[in-house]
Amino acid sequence: MIKQEKIYEDLFPLLRRVRIIFILVVALFIFLIMNFWKVQVLDHVKYWERSEANRMREIALPYQRGLIMDREGTILANNRASFRVSLIRENCEDYDKSCRKIARLLNIEESVLKERIRKYESMPLFKPIVVKEDLTLEEVAMIESRKLELPELVLQSEPKRFYPFKSLAAHVIGYLQELSPEEMKKNLYGERRLGELVGKIGIEKQYETALVGIHGLLVEVVDSLGRGREEIDRRESAKGQDLTVSLDFDMQKEAEELLQGREGAIIAMDARTGELLALASYPNFDPNKFINRFTSEEWLNLVTSPEFPLENRAIRGLYSPGSVFKLTVALGALDSEIVTDETTFVCRGETTIYNHPFSCWREGGHGKVGFYDAIRHSCNIYFYNLGKELGIENISRYARMLGFGLKTGIDLPGEKTGLVPDPQWKIKARGEPWQKGETISVSIGQSFMLVTPIQIAAHTALIANRGARVTPHLFKYLSADGKKIESKNQFLKHEIVDINPAVFEQVIQGMWEAVNNEGTGRAAKILGFDVCGKTGSTQVISEDKSEEPEKKESEEEEEEEVKTHSWFTGFAPRENPEIVVTVIVEYGGMGGATAAPLARRLFNIYLRKNDR
Amino acid sequence: MIDRSLLRHIDWILVGLLLLNSFIGVAFIYSSSHYLPGNYFLKQILWIFIGSIALFLFLTVDYKILVTFSPYFYIVAVATLGGVLLFGRLVAGAKSWLKFSFLQFQPSELMKLALILLLASVFSKFRRDSISWKKGLLSGALTAVPVLFVALQPDLGTALTYIPLFLAALILAGMNRKVFISIVIAALVLGVAGWNFALKDYQKTRLTTLISPSQDPLGSGYHILQSKIAIGSGGFLGKGFRKGTQSQLRFLPARHTDFIFSVIGEEFGFMGVIVALMCYFLFLNRLFKSVGLARDRAGVYIVFLVAVMISFQFFINVLMVVGILPITGTPLPLLSYGGSSLLTNFLGVSLVLNVKMRRFVFV
Repeated sequence: MIKQEKIYEDLFPLLRRVRIIFILVVALFIFLIMNFWKVQVLDHVKYWERSEANRMREIALPYQRGLIMDREGTILANNRASFRVSLIRENCEDYDKSCRKIARLLNIEESVLKERIRKYESMPLFKPIVVKEDLTLEEVAMIESRKLELPELVLQSEPKRFYPFKSLAAHVIGYLQELSPEEMKKNLYGERRLGELVGKIGIEKQYETALVGIHGLLVEVVDSLGRGREEIDRRESAKGQDLTVSLDFDMQKEAEELLQGREGAIIAMDARTGELLALASYPNFDPNKFINRFTSEEWLNLVTSPEFPLENRAIRGLYSPGSVFKLTVALGALDSEIVTDETTFVCRGETTIYNHPFSCWREGGHGKVGFYDAIRHSCNIYFYNLGKELGIENISRYARMLGFGLKTGIDLPGEKTGLVPDPQWKIKARGEPWQKGETISVSIGQSFMLVTPIQIAAHTALIANRGARVTPHLFKYLSADGKKIESKNQFLKHEIVDINPAVFEQVIQGMWEAVNNEGTGRAAKILGFDVCGKTGSTQVISEDKSEEPEKKESEEEEEEEVKTHSWFTGFAPRENPEIVVTVIVEYGGMGGATAAPLARRLFNIYLRKNDR
Repeated sequence: MIDRSLLRHIDWILVGLLLLNSFIGVAFIYSSSHYLPGNYFLKQILWIFIGSIALFLFLTVDYKILVTFSPYFYIVAVATLGGVLLFGRLVAGAKSWLKFSFLQFQPSELMKLALILLLASVFSKFRRDSISWKKGLLSGALTAVPVLFVALQPDLGTALTYIPLFLAALILAGMNRKVFISIVIAALVLGVAGWNFALKDYQKTRLTTLISPSQDPLGSGYHILQSKIAIGSGGFLGKGFRKGTQSQLRFLPARHTDFIFSVIGEEFGFMGVIVALMCYFLFLNRLFKSVGLARDRAGVYIVFLVAVMISFQFFINVLMVVGILPITGTPLPLLSYGGSSLLTNFLGVSLVLNVKMRRFVFV
């Protein structure tokens, strides 16, 4: 091996300077040690006392959520005072003994109490753990009187959400639940605290940022036992903004009562603005129960119930539109000038198109049927012919133009889009080409077509307004301290669809006759209010929610084994329409027999309330 | 690839001291954050692991080559900082520009290494024993660019850590002592006079928040006071591991990052502080002693500037923690939680090892 040789440049002057710097470093180390000696040894007592006496603690002061009120000021979501008691483990002299004592005092099982505390084990010892909420006044007094004996218990008051009318409009208002650690991580709700109650569905979620208040902050000095001694700083909490929604208490109440014992949805909407007066979905639930920590069994019952009480059917229920869809086909056929209001077809009760038999709901048929009578009697044969002439591409184009297959934009979370089928969709979704016969089924609202009740309501309003689209919505205005906050109402945009206005008059004439001229909707007739409407009945194979409604089209026919969803949608009055009502009753039978009378009740209330 | 005989010359004691101090940090990160979500101490261990791998990989490249290519590193680093400045703002939170899943990275940290290599390159070509104005101005300008970019982020705290590297390089290059001292004195006088006479109160607050945003929300001195109470109440022997009330009750700000040394002081007392300072001193001592073992001028600059980089931040942090310096938001190298800073310091030490193990010239 070659001998290694160090070859240095003359680095000596550099190293001398390095040494000077290093001496500086050593000096600073000595300086540091002297400082620590002073702070930790000489001044130790002073700092020790300060650390013991000056243990400041920040406590979040709960805020009040904004109220939710109906259009007349009836409070639908309120706050009430409530007391809760928490345990601070650090302050227990003997943990087991105090658990026993507290369990007896609060009348809780000791094992339940310990289980709850175990859940929060990883929290620091000085953090209060809520052990009981919603205390009675007696319990509050009892705890207060034993304050000295039980320093580990702290009472706190907090405003609590309260829905005075229980299940009324539960789906619209929504409910609150504790923010979960997962949601906290995902930062879905911004700067919030673990365990804070946040809006989970409905208005409570949609307008969370307006309704939510701001936590107050209390900085207090606590002694070594964690008892508050002195307030250092206090910032009061701020209440959230109050929200007035467009619901009409009486109409909402009536709608829900009408649905009792059934499954379905009722929507009442101001035709001119899209303001929702009633949005009922049944079965429903009591949102108050979500806020008081639910026992898991009750919760499971609600979630797994076959009737899906938590689902808001009005915006999330997907149904075949059935004969209600004939309005769309009629508008499309007239607008594209395939037919006029003078076109007639002959209905013999059944017919064969593309080598498939198709039947009308009326055995024996309607005979020679004109345009208005086709809507009035909801003749299938007439609309098979319109559908055949229009073709699936045009049907789906008009359906989308009139609001199907798209969200209406209602200000509630979770709205579904439904489905407007066309050949491209079928290839993509099912991998099969479009069958011509399916066009015939679609033309009376059967086959793959799926809509939500709110889409039907929006669609009805569009017809009522002769082509002007409104957005269904609940928002009226926000207010703070009783003062209205002016804001641009984003829902008051009216878009006009590209359909000849005269066509609407002709379809409306048909709807008017369906109700007022012994048509299928006659049960909705109100003297002097000119209701215009359309019924629908869609067959579903059975209750176990088979994927698609039976293909065999039918209308107003009763068969024992086959269950039928019952539709009615309409508006009134005929000129300058004011209100739209849409009703769906699952397994309700014929639209004219079940849904139409319910709609009539809603029209009636509206008329009574707005009697000039 | 690396020469096998080179491996024998790795300074394992320095590596050991590096890891020792890093794991002291992990212990106190655990103590001060185990009740928070986020598993900071596990992430820190992961960073130490990543840092160690990077350290050894970095050794395979001869520092001479690194010095040769240093202008390119510098350009890339400056461009990255410029990118942060341009695009970082759009992504909200300028510093977290480079983000790999849960590990974030601050490019301003790696800038330090690029600057060290570049300064070494500039000054190693220069053999006279006192500095020329040209070199001084050139290196000053090269330092000013990243200082400006990082200050605009705005992160004045990190920006100020570049300046000592420049000053240290000047000292090493033999800047006239009188000139140097007069520059420092002039700066001090200007600063003090400006602070006391020229600036209005709100301007001062604005300046302090500029240097350390959101560090002192409850008014001047609150956090420093809490830190002093923590250290002082620890006494001679401390309150015990995980038993420090100041940190567990969350009075201490930034417990697992900037104020980690207060946690040591509170939980292990004066004895703990002495041990921690000893460990750190041994580490810094080893770094400074390594300067003399460099083969050439560039090596001397590299080792010395790395030693200055780490010691400067160490003193800034610990002097802040005992309440002598104001809060600047400078982490304690190796001990504070934070991946970017840890990785940078590991790579810095890697440079020192690199210079040391290649100190023999093979003829």
